[in-house]
Amino acid sequence: MQVVAPSAVNAVASTIAILVLLVEFGMLRAGLLRSQVRLYAVQSLIASLLAAFLGVVHQEFELFILAGLSIALKTVVVPLVVLRLVRQSGTAVTVSGSLKPAGAALIALCVAAFSFFAVGRSGLKVDGLSPTVLGSAVAIIAVAFVLMVVRSDVVSQAVGFFSLENGVSVASLVVAAGMPLILEVAFLFDLLVAVVVFGVLMRVHHDQHDTLSTARLTDLRG
Amino acid sequence: MQFAPFVVQAFQVGTVVIFAPGVSGFIAKVEARLQGRRGPRVLQPYYDLAKLFGKESLAPHGASAGFLIAPIVAFACYLTVPLLIPVLTTYGLPLGTMGDILGGSLILALAAFAVAVAAADTGAPYTQMGSSRTTTFSALTEPVMLFVIFTVGFLTGTDLPYKMASTVTSSASQVLRPAHLLATAALFMVILVETSRIPVEGHSSTNEFGMIEHARTLEHSGPYAALLAWGSAMKQMILYILLINLFVAPWGLATSGRPLPILIAVVTLVLKCCAVGCLVTVIDNSFSKLRLFKITEFVAAAFLVSVLAVLTIYLGGG
Repeated sequence: MQVVAPSAVNAVASTIAILVLLVEFGMLRAGLLRSQVRLYAVQSLIASLLAAFLGVVHQEFELFILAGLSIALKTVVVPLVVLRLVRQSGTAVTVSGSLKPAGAALIALCVAAFSFFAVGRSGLKVDGLSPTVLGSAVAIIAVAFVLMVVRSDVVSQAVGFFSLENGVSVASLVVAAGMPLILEVAFLFDLLVAVVVFGVLMRVHHDQHDTLSTARLTDLRG
Repeated sequence: MQFAPFVVQAFQVGTVVIFAPGVSGFIAKVEARLQGRRGPRVLQPYYDLAKLFGKESLAPHGASAGFLIAPIVAFACYLTVPLLIPVLTTYGLPLGTMGDILGGSLILALAAFAVAVAAADTGAPYTQMGSSRTTTFSALTEPVMLFVIFTVGFLTGTDLPYKMASTVTSSASQVLRPAHLLATAALFMVILVETSRIPVEGHSSTNEFGMIEHARTLEHSGPYAALLAWGSAMKQMILYILLINLFVAPWGLATSGRPLPILIAVVTLVLKCCAVGCLVTVIDNSFSKLRLFKITEFVAAAFLVSVLAVLTIYLGGG
């Protein structure tokens, strides 16, 4: 069975989406909180490149503004804020989780396969794009969920949540590249709210328990 | 003037046999220059082979005939593989269809098996350790190769390596599609493992405990050691050719049996192999060797990449 090649635009878009997914897998593997935040910055940069690429393809100037804004926010501001919070807590530098990296990666691989399968079977069609792009966007979201489930420290869960937003933005870019800028920017500011909430959560949790691990939260006592 | 297809096929084998030690020598030279050393001559591997062929050969006490046959079997295997893969031409040659891409991997595996059995036969601790380590890690890289082969199957609709080269050169979207890029990356990672390069194994290390593939051949001497060294240089060049002529740059290949295109194909092939060698050397000098138990994670990463390649093309149609 030969699978016919998609158009060049489609091929580049899927390759960028797959790169975002690969970085998501890299986060599952990362052992240090710092490297996890850095990987998030790299992932956001790649996702912004997708916006810029689609801007070139669709001749939409708004997508360049979006790309610029998301690089400024997601590759610079958010990682800096999270790294600062991690440094201030000063307790843990390594991630903690219930699974070893290999097991987590295997689960994530199955989840990603299911995402591709589900998108392929759902019959969702995007004009001129193969199901790979949308499939990888869904896979990014699913793997981000796996990251949040298997990790038991606040920073990993926050980064997992932020990278989930990257998956959503890849999906929205391919499904509705011409969406009004105000909506896209609203997503970005949603992310900022999430950063503030997670920041407060990390601070409060750390002040109360002297740790960033969520294991203590099962005690049901303050 | 036109060479007969059989003659061209002989040239394919000859190119690999003659230039493989030279490519190794070039890589060693570049590596040394990057480390600020002058390094050996590019032709040094040929001198080493000549020296080894002139020496007497000894076998450990109690080793069976298999110990001495293994280097010859391995060398014969490495002579067979260039018949099956596109080394110089874009068109299929007469014996090219006697085995598909799986058959080629099987023959490479047979060579590794012969050497591993001979190493286990010696009774020496280091060679046995090398034999068991190599077999363990090749069992891990095997599924990666399988998934790369599946991807090739989906890309071309066949399992013949010749078809892959013409598919890649057919359009830009064939090069840019994620399945192709992911399979290329996975194959490159497997090549790093199989040619015993950093981050898996120190190439020029003499510390037996860090050895994986090199430890297997410690007991061989004389012409047998020469055959093994030559064979491993050929294996390296064959893997580079697979990467170059199937995935990365199948350009410059001869489209007919005329002397000039064949000559151009030989020259460009050697240059392309040297370019891949330079890339490998840069990786060699930029990373440190992984601990033995971390190598599985490296191979697992390659496996992940190759599975994603199959997922994108089989389920996503990308």
